[in-house]
Amino acid sequence: MSNLVRSELLKIRTTSTWWWLAIGAFLSIAMAFPLNAWLFNTAVEGNAEDVGLTGDAASAPAQAANLYTSGQYLGLMFVMLIGILMVTNEFFHQTATTTFLATPRRTAVIVSKLIAASLLGFVFWLVTTVIDLGAGAIFLTLNDHGTLLGEWEVQRALLLNLMAYAIWTVLGVGIGTLITNQLGAVITASVLYLIGTQVVSVLFFMLSSWLDSLAVLKWQVLWPAVASQVMITPGENEMLPAWWVGVLVLIGYALVSGIIGVLLTRRRDIS
Amino acid sequence: MSDGQSRPTNDAQIVVSGLSKQYRNVLAVNNLSFTVEPGRVTGFLGPNGAGKTTTLRMLLNLVTPTAGTATIGGRRYPELAEPLRHVGAVLEASSAHKGRTGINHLRVISAAAGLPRQRADEALALVGLTPAAKRKFKGYSLGMKQRLGIAAAMLGDPRVLILDEPANGLDPEGIRWMRGFLKGLAAEGRTVLVSSHLLSEMQLLADDVVIIAAGQLVRQGPVDQVIGSMAQGVRVRVRTPQAEALTSALAGGPARVQTDEHGALLIAGVDAPTVGRAALGAGVELHELTTERPDLERVFLELTAGKAGIR
Ligand SMILES: Nc1ncnc2c1ncn2[C@@H]1O[C@H](COP(=O)(O)OP(=O)(O)O)[C@@H](O)[C@H]1O
Ligand SMILES: [Mg+2]
Repeated sequence: MSNLVRSELLKIRTTSTWWWLAIGAFLSIAMAFPLNAWLFNTAVEGNAEDVGLTGDAASAPAQAANLYTSGQYLGLMFVMLIGILMVTNEFFHQTATTTFLATPRRTAVIVSKLIAASLLGFVFWLVTTVIDLGAGAIFLTLNDHGTLLGEWEVQRALLLNLMAYAIWTVLGVGIGTLITNQLGAVITASVLYLIGTQVVSVLFFMLSSWLDSLAVLKWQVLWPAVASQVMITPGENEMLPAWWVGVLVLIGYALVSGIIGVLLTRRRDIS
Repeated sequence: MSDGQSRPTNDAQIVVSGLSKQYRNVLAVNNLSFTVEPGRVTGFLGPNGAGKTTTLRMLLNLVTPTAGTATIGGRRYPELAEPLRHVGAVLEASSAHKGRTGINHLRVISAAAGLPRQRADEALALVGLTPAAKRKFKGYSLGMKQRLGIAAAMLGDPRVLILDEPANGLDPEGIRWMRGFLKGLAAEGRTVLVSSHLLSEMQLLADDVVIIAAGQLVRQGPVDQVIGSMAQGVRVRVRTPQAEALTSALAGGPARVQTDEHGALLIAGVDAPTVGRAALGAGVELHELTTERPDLERVFLELTAGKAGIR
């Protein structure tokens, strides 16, 4: 198995795809960090309501947590795309034949892709977090708040961010096995990630006013991107499920897509 | 070990038995059985769409058979302990990532199969691709791609080689290189199974042939035997403006005379000197007098007549 994981990591290292996605992730940090820094200042200066922040979410630790995970929104999409490409590349470049000749045990191939994907998610998290920690600590210290790194809320956000990166990469592998067409998988997943969330929230809003129930909104968590958001959002209320619900939903998606991926791949004719 | 002599032989024998594959509306392979022996080059022949690729892919566990089995050394491909050390394959529609270098392509495979890292360099050298090691696959010519495929197949120094249409896209020099390479592997005692529809090439390369058409076995055996088994042996081709006079001069002897589509005479049962002498005796003017030996192409066309074509 370790041979296979090594081979999967080598596949990623020996093409330039990951490099482009890494650049994308860094750009997304570069865009998100100033915005989050501005949000932090607005919130701690007491103008939280102006930017739609209330209660816990407006506290300095919550805003610090947000700052230290800057770039997560697009970063998660990029690792998902890497996961997808790890599978669809095999069909697009017709390397599936070679891969399954070297390892006819197909379950092992998919499992090693899942392991390699989560390792890659870890590396993405590590690098983005190091950048965020550096920039965030400097920003907060210069503004006389201290680093706020001692706060459990901040630490928890960093750890859950790690989990999010690992799970979304794994989810990408699952999606790739379901939709082996490279372009089809990449477009479907990106559109669902970027636009799907807005569509889902509009639908739930309509449903909630029709049923005259705010509790319905909680069920948005079933949508993976929302689950990811819930997971890193502190607090819980009528409309917002607890963070661990988001964790469970995401793990559920990762497991289901992984299992379906293995089953499909075992049966598929490579011709 | 007491069975030290027989084991390598058994390990490298390919046995296809009752193999069938039904695609949605095509019976691509239909109850096919044949064996392939070590130490020989076996040509796997059939018209386009005969089911060659499907058969080889079933042998390698890439396509699941509808019925039947295909084994290498008595075991199905996924049951082999170290498949790449046992079997090397070069298939159609197997390729490399366009943006990956040749050497890295081989390293990825070596890593997956648990082979030592330097095998990638050795395999590349074996096919003469070392100068292009660090070039990306998308910059490779067709012939270089084919060589890289062979290098990948040779990574594990396997006892069994399976190649699907390896001559496709090669220039004459490349084809000659491939012929020598495969013959050399067979001479070392390895099993070499090569599919092709290029019959003249196969006649130069193969020791044995397995001929299929429309998914079914048509003939299997050593090339000479398969050719010799055909009704038509050696024939003499004659072109003459006085065909009737020559035909009557030969009448009453063992000669059987036919006319081909261009009006030339095809005479079986006698040799060229006999025909020449008969012509001289009858005062018949000859424009051509050649001996035609049956070749693989003729045999193949006769055996697969009416079964070729798109299915
Ligand atoms: N994946 C597939 N799905 C449906 N039909 C297929 C598939 N692969 C091959 N076939 C059909 O099976 C038959 C045999 O094809 P193939 O094995 O490629 O023949 P060959 O390699 O001898 O040219 C053809 O009629 C082909 O169209
Ligand atoms: Mg073919």
